[in-house]
This record gives sequence, C-alpha cells and structure tokens, in this order.
Amino acid sequence: MIRLSLLQFRIQAMTVAAVMAGFAVLLTVTGPHLATVYAADGLSSCHGGSSCANLANYFTGSLARGPYGVLFPLSTGVILLAPAVIGVFWGAPLIARELETGTAALAWNQSVTRTRWLAVKLGIGGLAAMAVTEALCLMQTWWAAPISQAVADGASIGVAQSRFSQLNFATHGVTPIGYAAFAFALGVTAGALIRRTIPAMAVTLAIFAALQVAMPLWIRPNLAPPEHTVNPVTSLGGAGPSQTGPGGDTFTLYALNIPGQPGAWLLSSGPVNAAGQATSTTPAACTSVGNTGQSAGAQGNAFPPGQGPAAFVDCLGRHGIREAITYQPASRYWRFQATETAIYLALALALAGYCIRRLNRRRS
Amino acid sequence: MSAVLQAAGLGKAYRRTWALRDCTLAIPEGRVTGLVGPNGAGKTTLLGLATGMLMPTRGTITVLGQRPAAGPAQLARVGFVAQDTPVYARLTVADHLRLGAWLNPGWDDDLARRRIGQLTLDLRQRAGSLSGGQRAQLALTLAMAKRPELLLLDEPVASLDPLARREFLQGLMQAVAAHGLSVVLSSHLVADLERVCDYLVVLVASQVRVAGEVSDLLASHHRLSGPRREPSSLPAGQEVITESHTDKQTNLLVRTDGPVLDPAWAVKPVGLEDLVLAYLSRSGDDTPARHQHLGVVS
Repeated sequence: MIRLSLLQFRIQAMTVAAVMAGFAVLLTVTGPHLATVYAADGLSSCHGGSSCANLANYFTGSLARGPYGVLFPLSTGVILLAPAVIGVFWGAPLIARELETGTAALAWNQSVTRTRWLAVKLGIGGLAAMAVTEALCLMQTWWAAPISQAVADGASIGVAQSRFSQLNFATHGVTPIGYAAFAFALGVTAGALIRRTIPAMAVTLAIFAALQVAMPLWIRPNLAPPEHTVNPVTSLGGAGPSQTGPGGDTFTLYALNIPGQPGAWLLSSGPVNAAGQATSTTPAACTSVGNTGQSAGAQGNAFPPGQGPAAFVDCLGRHGIREAITYQPASRYWRFQATETAIYLALALALAGYCIRRLNRRRS
Repeated sequence: MSAVLQAAGLGKAYRRTWALRDCTLAIPEGRVTGLVGPNGAGKTTLLGLATGMLMPTRGTITVLGQRPAAGPAQLARVGFVAQDTPVYARLTVADHLRLGAWLNPGWDDDLARRRIGQLTLDLRQRAGSLSGGQRAQLALTLAMAKRPELLLLDEPVASLDPLARREFLQGLMQAVAAHGLSVVLSSHLVADLERVCDYLVVLVASQVRVAGEVSDLLASHHRLSGPRREPSSLPAGQEVITESHTDKQTNLLVRTDGPVLDPAWAVKPVGLEDLVLAYLSRSGDDTPARHQHLGVVS
C-alpha cells in the first residue's frame, strides 16, 4: 500500500520538488549577499543601544526599496500559501478523484481494507505536507536571518516585522507544520464529503483561508491570558496623538511599543485617567496646546515653543493621563508557537479520524 | 450446496427512493450467474452491496459466508470489476500489474502477464490511452489475477463493441473453466448472458422477479396458444407471466412445475431472451398479472 501511494504520489511530488528547488536556488543565490549588506551596514559590529536601532532601521528600510523588498514578501508568501496549495491539490483530490473517476471501486476491492488504504495515504501525504512546508520555512528563516537580527537590534521599518506579526508568526518556527497537516486533512475531508474534486478544492481553500484570518485576529491573542501595564504617555515611542471633536476636546493615543518589553505583542492600547478609567476627553488645559500645534504642523511650519504633538503629550502626562496597554510578552513566543501548532495538529488528526470512520461507515 | 451470495430482505435506499428492496437470494457456488434487468433496476446496487462498497439500509447480505469487505482476507476472496471498468488513466499497464501484486497476497503474476501477453497489450502504455475493450480486459485481468473465489462484474461489456464483447466473455469463460471460480455478472442485454450463464437473476424496478438455474427456468416456462379464454380458468400451479389476446386467440407465457395437459393449448418452449423479456414487461406489483393485459410477446 505504501508503494502504491508513492506511485500515485509521483506527479504531485515532482511538481512540489520543482517548486522547492526553485525556492532553494533563489534563496541560496541571494542569501550570502543579504548577509554582506547586513555586515556592510555596520550592524555586525554594533553593540546595542539606540545607534544600533538606527543602523538596523537603515538596513531594513533600504532593503525594502531594493529587490529584497520583493523577495522577502515573496518568500513569506510562498510559505503562507504552501499549506493552502497542499490542501487544495494534494488533499482535496485524494478521495474525491478516486470517487469521480470510479477508481475507488478498483482501489477498495484489492486485498487491503479501506481503513489501511486511507491511513497510509493520509500518513504519507500528511508527512510530506509537513516536511515540505517546514523545509520552506527553515530555508527562508536561514535566508532572512540578517533581517530577524535587525529586528532584534530594534529595527521597525521597511522589511522589519516583529516576530508576533501575522505574517512572521505564521511563516516561522513550527506553525507551518501545523498548518500543512491541517490543510491536507481538511482537503481530504472536503473531498470525502463533497465527492467532487473541484468543489472540494474550493471549499478547502475557503475554510483554510477563513481560519488563517480568524486565527491571528480572534483566536491567537487569547491562547494565553494577556498581560496589562499602565505607562507614562511620554514613553510610547513617538506615538502621535490625534485630536477630534469640537475644539479638540477629545483625543486618541495609541502606543507603538511597550516600554521595557522589546518584541512583545501589543494587543491593544488606550489612554486612562488618573483613576485608571479609559478616557478620551482632553484635559481642558491641553486643548489649545494640541490644536494650535496641529494647525501649525499641518501648514508645514515649525511648531511654536510649547506647542505641537510632543507638547500635547507632555501636557496629557502632567494632567494624569497614562496609557494602558494589553500585550503578550516576547518570552511567550515559543509557547504561542507550540500551542497554535498543537491546535492545528489536533484538528488535522480529528479530521483524519473522521475520514477513516466515514469511509468505513457510510461507504461510497 | 453453499451459496456464494446470500441475501435476506436486503434493501438499499437513497434518501427516499429504494434502489433495491426485499431482495432475498441465494446464488449457488460454481455458477456463472447473470444479473439481468433494465437500467436502474438495482443491479449496480446489488453488486455494490455484495462488494461492501455500499451498506444495506435493510436486511443482510453475506458473500462466501461472510460480511462483504469484512477484512483483507474477505476482500482477497472477491474480485470486482466495476461499471465502465475503471483503471488509473495515468498509470501504465505495468503499473497496474505492480499495484495488483503489491495489494494482493494471492496475486498470480504468471496469470496476469500471460493474459496481458495474449491481449497484446503494451506494458508501457498508459491505461488512459487504452481502448474500451482493452481497458475492460485490463480490469478483468486485475480482478482475476488476485485469484478470487467469486468474481463480480458490473456491466463489463456494456460499452464494448460486439467483437470486444465476445473476446471479453471468452476470456472470462476460459478463466472460469481454468480456476473453477463463481461469477456474477450484470447486464441489461440478455443476449450477452445467454451464452455464458447457467444461473439467472432478473431484477426489475429494484426487486428480484425471478431467480434460478437457466435449465430449470427454461423447463418450467411454456408458451401456450389456443382459442380465446380467460387465464383465470387455468389449473392451479400454472402462473401466468404474460398474456395477450385477439378476438379468437389467447397467447400466454406460463410458469409451471408440472406438464401442461390441456389439449386445447399448443405448447411451445420459451427462449431465454423471451423469458426474461416476459418478466421485464410484467407489472410491478406483487399480485399475479392474471387480470392485466400486458406484455405482448409474440
């Protein structure tokens, strides 16, 4: 049965091998150059501090304007799409095509039970899916190591992305393994239920895409109870306040980073008053500070002394406004990686089990 | 004598329609059984139930004394060639033989290669580029080389031209003679079955209408013609299958285990094709067709 699976798997496997080879060549050719740029920008000899962050920002900012500004998102995209492609082109046809062409009647009337037939196919396809996706991930992680290092050095612009960012989290570490296993099992299940290849492919893609959107937005932030912190408004990393309402009597202020928590995942932030309650009312004394400053800034003039966003933030701070931040600490990165991967693997196993049961109970 | 296929009250429903119902059958061992009926009569459903591809909605079915597809051992004992003789279009003929060898512990590679040789099939040719007849032969080779005790064939010759049809059936009969296996094959054409079958099951509108040894069926059915009279005046034990009347004459096809003694009748034997057609044209309900004027079989 293993040999039959490999025989039938040949064509799909060759396609994927070709894609992987192309990916490997692209990264191997450009990888050393990327590392040279990193060294040339003086980052390898820098030892922390804000000058290091400036260098790192220069590095990631200039990369974004060159070919790496295309290559980086492209390589990320390949890893993001790989599980979906596997689910659609390996998973969905696995049972559906056998039913459609009638070959299921041939396959299931050899001296091999349907359970074994499907278990072997799921095992081989699932392992291959996980191996392929993780291999792509590891190749890109190696290639993008200078960029990751620059992010650790404090880069936040250009191609720099925090490790918790939606694209980065989903294409690094072990999560691609979980996605690949799940997408494959999802495709097989859709094929078994719908019994026609093309609709099964569409449904697989739709469900997988929906889950990949829902996961970072609504599920991942809740995989561990978030931490809360309240910080001075002057420590938020150059976040600009914006004033609204008549006479600027309301305002919003978002944090861009969390003081003392580099690499943390910022979930939400907002100003609170001295009593610790969320607020958006501008203290009366600050209304004119901000307003005049904004109009001056908008006209391209220099802010008069004691005016402008910085002065406004200072004023807010003097009047007891602080910023409440909800976040996940950077130290939880691998815990999140492991939890999310485990969730997807568990879903994949559940779907696989369901398929085997269904193939035996309902029959074709 | 043990039955290779035994069904009791067997039924299969799809949503609300019965594809097969109240099927009670016992097909004896060592026969070539023809399963005949019009399209949609339930032939494929019955074979699907026999292979375990389908699960019964009602009743039971055993094949070679066991539940269909109960395990690898049971699967090895039953060969199946599905309708339209599916094969893997992208795999070569040689791949199919390899597949058979890998998946069947009882695989007879000599038999498979000999048959492929006789059929002059190219081992390197992709199955997708074979003709319908060649594809059917490849599927039959796969099913036979696993050396089953029972071979089930669903409309194996339906899509073949007359020559390929004859070759396929010849190949089948040679295998039956060589290995003494039991065969059940379905067809909507009696002519296909007439030459090869010694047991017949007629399925109409998802129900079994008649089943038995071909020789017994031929011996117990007679065509009667004589002066006009009502069929209800026939003696007990003579069941009217079809009747037709003119002003002066009555033609009947009756089933009876005893001889027809009434000298008013001219008694003629019935061919298998006419016999099957008579059952196919008989009304669908279970009441005898005595009062109905159906099925003009001349």
